[in-house]
Order: sequence, then structure tokens, then C-alpha cells
Amino acid sequence: MFVVRFLARRLFQGVIIVFLVSALIFTLLRVVPGDPVRLMAGGMAPEALIEQIATDMGLRDPIYVQFARYMSGVAQGDLGQSFVRPASGAALGGASFDDTTRSERAEVLTLIAETAPMTIQLALLAMIFALIIAIPIGIWAGLNPGRWPDRIALYLSSIFVSLPNFWLGIVLVLLLSVKLQLVPAIGYDGFAYTILPAFVLAIEIAPFIIRALSVSVASVMSQNFIAIAAVRGLTQTQIVFRHALKNSAVPLLNLLGVQFSMLLGGVLVIEFIFDYPGLGLLTINAVLQRDFPLIQGIAIVTAAAFVLINIFVDLIATVIDPRLDY
Amino acid sequence: MERRKFLSYSAMIGAAAAIPRINPDFAFSKAFAQENRPLMFLSAENITGNWDPTAHTTLSQTNIEGFVMGFLTRAPMRPDDPDKVIYELATEINEIDAFTLEIKLREGVTFHDGKPFKAEDVKATFEYGAQPDRPKQVYPGPTDTFEVTTPDDYTVIIDTSKGGYGASLFIFLASYLPMLSAQDIAEGPNGVLSQRLNGTGPFKFVEQRGNDTVMEAFPEYFRGAPIVPGVTFAFVGDGTTRMLSLMSGQADVIERLEPEQVETLEAEDDIKLSRLVSVENKYLFFRCSKPPFDDWRVRKAAAHAIDRTILWDVMGSAGEPSSNWISPIKFGYIDLESYPEYDPDECQRLLAEAGYPGGEGLPELEYLTSTGFYPKTKEYGEVITALLQEQGFPVRLNVMEVAAWNERLYDRPGGGPGHMVDCGWSTGSPEPDLVLRTHFHSSSKRICGIVDPEIDAALDEERNAPSLEARRESLQTNLMPLLAQKVPALSLFTSVLIHGMRSNVDGLFIYPDGVADASEATLS
Repeated sequence: MFVVRFLARRLFQGVIIVFLVSALIFTLLRVVPGDPVRLMAGGMAPEALIEQIATDMGLRDPIYVQFARYMSGVAQGDLGQSFVRPASGAALGGASFDDTTRSERAEVLTLIAETAPMTIQLALLAMIFALIIAIPIGIWAGLNPGRWPDRIALYLSSIFVSLPNFWLGIVLVLLLSVKLQLVPAIGYDGFAYTILPAFVLAIEIAPFIIRALSVSVASVMSQNFIAIAAVRGLTQTQIVFRHALKNSAVPLLNLLGVQFSMLLGGVLVIEFIFDYPGLGLLTINAVLQRDFPLIQGIAIVTAAAFVLINIFVDLIATVIDPRLDY
Repeated sequence: MERRKFLSYSAMIGAAAAIPRINPDFAFSKAFAQENRPLMFLSAENITGNWDPTAHTTLSQTNIEGFVMGFLTRAPMRPDDPDKVIYELATEINEIDAFTLEIKLREGVTFHDGKPFKAEDVKATFEYGAQPDRPKQVYPGPTDTFEVTTPDDYTVIIDTSKGGYGASLFIFLASYLPMLSAQDIAEGPNGVLSQRLNGTGPFKFVEQRGNDTVMEAFPEYFRGAPIVPGVTFAFVGDGTTRMLSLMSGQADVIERLEPEQVETLEAEDDIKLSRLVSVENKYLFFRCSKPPFDDWRVRKAAAHAIDRTILWDVMGSAGEPSSNWISPIKFGYIDLESYPEYDPDECQRLLAEAGYPGGEGLPELEYLTSTGFYPKTKEYGEVITALLQEQGFPVRLNVMEVAAWNERLYDRPGGGPGHMVDCGWSTGSPEPDLVLRTHFHSSSKRICGIVDPEIDAALDEERNAPSLEARRESLQTNLMPLLAQKVPALSLFTSVLIHGMRSNVDGLFIYPDGVADASEATLS
């Protein structure tokens, strides 16, 4: 019964959040400079034609009318059609204004459905790499608070967090892909192409996990039940892995949820540098092309994913620690 | 031994035994080059989404057409022999008289869809490509100004007497307009032409997969099947990403290298570079249809304010000095003596004469340029802005990403946005009218928006010249000096196309408009 009440309440809140995000993005897109119809119709199109297309598409209606029309479509699972992309999904440049064949445009939902799995794969692998890097360092630091392992973890985290991801990406491509020929880097032609961008992302998020884990482990390790555990005859390994880590997991889980959500929406630079065909690259091209429906669609899907991941994380947290009340 | 330890040890032994059986190819197999694989070409520009070759002027799509389509002739346009023509689908082009051209066609050529290539295809292509509503607007004149007849399946006669211009204009056009199938054209602009490419070239269009255009070798290509099994032409927007991809071996050829990238790649043993003086000049277009640049004296004053030698220094290896409105490898090029060069005194004299002494009274002038496609636009844009400001022009430089710049590029009624626009223009033919008429005739005036009866008359005179020699003279002694006087745009320099390629790529021929012929390319 708790789960049903929890889900109903959180999903309702989530819908409101997504609605507000949609309204914000929708309004902002329409007040920034750059006429998407000019891009669609081509630079040589006469003004009269531009106005005609804009009127036909309802782009000259008041913003609230456009938003209501758009949201009624979204409610029926229709995120609309891309302004510029054809069904093949190719990024487009200028063309002629009287080019009627360009009306065969891609569905926003299809474009997102094709690219989102790529970004999820990238984000999951980045998360795995980040955990592989952060867990040993974080636990080690947490078990030795104030001593040199803790300081090393702090310095390492500082270095990781200070490295600009675009710089690290280029350096790693030069080193691992160009010089050592270990992994491919640019584009996507198989799973191997995910490794390097995921590693760069992992370096970016590992410091947060290291910090959260070391503080959490240090805090748990100072509690009475840990001190008593040794008296009960448990080995150090058993104390750390069965008791300390389990109790440190809740703050870590929350952090992972937030980080994963941010990865889904925040891989723009990495996907652009690595030409990785995920949501990030799709977003950048959509922004450059003033492809309003696509930008809105991505924003809504990303916001919804953020909300759902957080609900899921909170639900898992209550399973781990039944004392929690959300 | 304890039961738990026994289980742990046996699991470890099992894992150790399994390691050699793990297939590392899962992660690494597709990473790097193997022979007998498609050539990977990375492009700096995206495509239009309409495959009709007459529906766009987009360079990247023209490059794709270079792999797939066939042309009557090809023009290598090398500086030492700019007028050279190589016969491809045509075997002979004969001038019967000033208004009649005879084209003999190659036999035994087929389109990728199996249709034999015949005279009817040439007739249909010329008539379709010259229709006034086709965005590529292939000159010399619209369809009703010439007549194409086909005495037999492999002979085409072009009669331009109706239009009053020389039939020789079609000679250069032959290397510009790809030959389309008459069957495809019959379906019109909304038919199959827009859905896919169908040519007679060495590679067959397979599909557009996201940003990758996939082509495979056409076994029945009339010069013999290509050696590489295909070409993948991919749009990658970031220049650094393209360069890294080339260095890592994932790309075979990349285009539009920046001068700094050239320096980096020159140090790499397994990379080679191709430098070509291109058919593209870079221009500073003035919006001639609105003040203050509707006055030729203000335009010319601005031209005299700009020291182009500084721009050439900025461009380094990516720019070639030239003093004309067409590239040195185009028909009729001459280093114009009257080309407006840096002359501050003359600039001030013209400004005063136009009623703006020392620039006083001039409105704020917006100078639009792009960043991300053409090399160094921002850098030399800042130089031009500073030089113009020095002479009293209140210029504001507006550097935009390509899509926003593209949106503001062309002329509109009452003048387009801004007052000056940076842009290049590239056409894969020695034909100068594809640049001059496109930009400076009142029927087209793409960017500058100029309407000047004297320039129109000069353009018509050179087009209507009865022979190539007469035409050359008209261009060099009438039209070009007139442009130097009226300055609807200032040509800054000729672009140098720099391609980077892996050293194992051999036999790839690159034309000065960036189109590549990979029919004999190999990946050794």
C-alpha cells in the first residue's frame, strides 16, 4: 500500500515538473532570436512565403495557443515532427524554399527512440567505470579518515574534477586511439566506440562518488555497532562489506540517481567531441538548426527520465533502509 | 581444506581457464582499418535532405554526387592547364557553328537502376536543370532559350539561336551538371529524384543512415568496377573530431583543414595532405540594395580601406592571393590591374565625395560572418573590421554559427539582414558565369542584391559572345573592369582546399571544388 501511495504521489509531482519544464522550454525557444521557418524554407525564400509557412504551421499564433496545441499532442504520445530532419535522421543544411519534398520529416519520437539507447549505453558504462574507479578509493579513504589514503583520495578527486572533459577527451583520443591504437574513438560502429567517451565521463563523475562514499563510510565506521562488530568476532572484511557499506549505500544511491539523470541530459560536449550518435549530439544539432520540436521533445523526455530515475532511487532507498520516509 | 576455501579456489581456477576463451574482438574488432573496406570520407558540412542534384547548391551533397553521378566531361582545373577537359560520358563535343553544339555520347553505359544511358537522358537533364524554378539555376539560360534534339541514341545537338548566346557555353556546363535518368526526371521534382541518387558513376547510392551516406561499388561502371568496395560519406561537425578520426585511422579522408591542423598533420608519417587552389573565392558582399552601400562610391571606399595582404597572412596556406571575382582556375581569369587595392587616401576621397567625410554620417554597419565551416572567418573578419573602423566606417562584426548565418545570408526585398556578409562561392566548372551571373545579374543577385543595368548588359555581352576567345575578351576588358568600378562585392582571396588523407589511400583524385573521384582509389 505504501508503494502505491508513494508512486501515485511522486508520479503526480513528476507530471507537474515535466509540464513546467515544457512550458519554460517552449516559451524560451520562442523568444530567442532565429526564425526556424527561414531555416526550413531556405535563405532565398521570399518573406511572403516565410509568413505563409509560419502561419500554416501555427507559428504566428500566441505562445499559449501554440503550447496548448503542443501539449495536447504530447498527451497523446505525439511529440511532433522535426522542422528540418528527414526520415533518415540526417542533419541538414540549407536548401531551397520551394522544396516540397522536404516535408517528409522525421518524427521527434522516432529520432529520440533511435538515439536514447545510445546515450543510455554510454551513461551506464560511464557509471560502471566511475564505480570501479570510485569504490575502492572511496572505501579506502573512508576507512582512514584524516590519514594519507583520505588525502590521496582528496587530491585525486580534485585533479579529476578540475580536468575539462573536452580536453581530457581529446588527450585520451590522441593517446589511446591515435598513438596506442587500443580503442576506437570517433563515431559509432560497435560497442568499443562507447569505451573512451564513457571513461571520460567516468573521470568527471568519479570525484563526487569518491567524496560521498568516503564521508559516508567514515561516518558509519565511527558508530557503535561497528565497534561492537569486532567484539562479535567478525573479520574486518565482513564488517566493511556486510555492515559499513550497506549503511553507506543510501546517500550513495541518491547521488548515483542524480548523476545518472545528469548524464542523460549532460553528455553534449562528450558526444560532440566523439561524434557519438546519442541524445547529446542530437540536441546540439537541433539547437544549431533551431529545430524547436526536437529540442522540446528532448527536454521533455530528459525531464521525465530525471523524474522517473529519482522516484526509482527513492523507492530502492526505502527498501535498503525502511526507516526512510519519502 | 575448508569447504568455503575449496569453493573459492575452484571458482578461481575456472575463471582462469576461461580467460583465454574470452573473445577480445567484442570490444576491439571493429576499431581499425582493414583492407577491402569502404573508404571513409568525413565532411564538414551537412546535406539538404533532397537528393535531386538540381535542388541545392550545397557543397557536401555535390561531393556525394561526385561519387555516384556521371558527367559528360570532367574539368580537373589545375592552375597549369585550367581549361583542360576530360571526356567521361561524352566522347566528343563539336562546335558546329556559334549557336550549335554536337555532343557524341559513350555507348554501353548504364545507370545504377539498369537503364541504359542515352541521348534522351542528356536532353532531359539539360532541359530540367535549366528550368527557372530549379534552385541550382544552371545557366546559360532558361529552358525556353535553347533546343536539344537527339538525331540518334548517342548524339545530342544543342541549338542556342533562340536565346542568342553562344552554344559553347554548354561546353563548361557539361562538367557541372550531373547526368540524370530521363525516367527519373519524368516523375518531376517530387518523384524519385528527390528520394535517392541514380547515376552512372563508380559508386551506387545505398542509403542515408543518420549522418552517413552509404555508397557501394557499382560493378558495371563503364571504366571497370572500383577497387574499394564502397564509400561512406559522413558529416562530422567538429574540425578537431575529424582530425583525430583521421589520425586514429578511423577516417581515410577529411576535408576543410584549418592551417593549424595542417601543421599538426604534416608531422604525422602516416598522413598525407592534398592542397588545391580551388574554384572558390571568398567574398565580402555588400548589401547593394540599401544605404549606404547602394552608392558604389561607399562600396569602393570600403574596398580601398581593406589591406588584403594582412588577410592573406592570416589565411596562411588556406588562402591563395587573387585579384578578380573568379578563381584563377576559372575560364577568363586575369589579374585585374584596376582591382581595388588598399589605398586610404582614395578611400577618404570617395567617402567625402559620397557625402560621408571621414565616415561621418554613416549608420552603424553590421558585418555578418560565420564560424565553424570556412577557415579563419572570425580571425580575418576582425582584421577587416579594424581596417574599416580605421577609415571611419562604424562597423560591428557579428560572428554566428553556420545555421544562423545561413538564415541571414541571402538578399531579400529591401536588402537582406546586415550590411556586409562573408561568404564563398564554389562551382565545379571553369564556367565563370556560374559565379558572376549568379551574384551580379539583376535576375539572380543572390547575396549582394545589386540591380545595375550596366552590369547586366556587360554580363549579357560576354554570355552572347560568338566564340570562347571573344568571350574571354569581353570578360577581361568589359565586365571585370566594370565590376572593379562598381564593387558589388570584394573578392578577398581564393580558397585553397586542403584535404588530409591516410598515407595508404592511393589513386583518389580531388577536383578543385572538393569533389573526389574514387573510382581508382585503393587502400593499401
